[in-house]
Amino acid sequence: MFHFFMAIAKWLQNTWWALDISGSTWAYPFVQMTHFTGLSLWVGTNLALDLRLLGIGSKRQTASQLSSALFAWNWTGLLIAITGGFMLFSSAATKYIPNPAFEIKLGILVPVGILWHIFVQWHARAREQADVVSPFGKFAGLLELLLWFSVITAAVSIPNFDVH
Amino acid sequence: MIHFCEWLEKNPWIMAIDSSVVISLILEILHYSGFFLLVGAMVIVDLRVMGLAARRRTPIEVANQLFPWMWTGLCMVLLSGFFMFAGDAPDFYQAITFRIKILVVLVAIAFGLIVRHYVPRWGELPSIPFGAKIVACLSLVLWIGAILISVEVPAISGVG
Repeated sequence: MFHFFMAIAKWLQNTWWALDISGSTWAYPFVQMTHFTGLSLWVGTNLALDLRLLGIGSKRQTASQLSSALFAWNWTGLLIAITGGFMLFSSAATKYIPNPAFEIKLGILVPVGILWHIFVQWHARAREQADVVSPFGKFAGLLELLLWFSVITAAVSIPNFDVH
Repeated sequence: MIHFCEWLEKNPWIMAIDSSVVISLILEILHYSGFFLLVGAMVIVDLRVMGLAARRRTPIEVANQLFPWMWTGLCMVLLSGFFMFAGDAPDFYQAITFRIKILVVLVAIAFGLIVRHYVPRWGELPSIPFGAKIVACLSLVLWIGAILISVEVPAISGVG
């Protein structure tokens, strides 16, 4: 399985866009900026909803109203983050594949985080229409907060496991 | 200023925090999370003022909804950022890219405050003035520029 992923990584790293990014002084920072801008929308709106579910911060709107209001921004942010992330990954794919922090981030935490987020969004819109959030709603928000903090932890740990 | 940075770096509290792997990791997570919350909220408000998104809602509705989150994110960024800076204060202070980052962030915050202050007035007008859209556009560019510079600080200066 590892050899299969490495073969795809080698192919990806030699595509025209990956070569353009790795060979250019400004392309790589621009792509990183795209990834972080998308993350600002995706993680930022996730955090806003999770904090609201936990009863922290602004209570102008119910969790249901906030979830509905931020829905489009939330998924637009993920799309931008995935676009930037894919470009970043392409430029150094063979280094990312064997990196344990990257494997944990993209192989486990991100898929689990996205699935749990879909549930949290549905729960907030369908069940949290009152000002006071239910105990389960608070648990759901806390778990999602911890999941995305774990993703950030794994992401910032990637350089510590760089294979040279 | 460099003497203050050297004093800060050698402060026992700062040294204790800086030497703890767990606390350093928590600070980094808080810094990233706060930044995402802050920039995410500002991007949405700026795009609304520019008339490019969320047009079913008034600018003041969007601003009232998102500015509390912007302030929450800003508090997280400033608090965690201070402790992250303090642990390597002289190196950060002397790094040109870090100084540019702080300058861009301060100007971006100033533009954010301008948007916050004027958005109630802009929202009452029949249409958002062109000047307001320029201010929001500049605010957006500054925050995205802050992201760009933030990711380049460790790469170029070797600090952080």
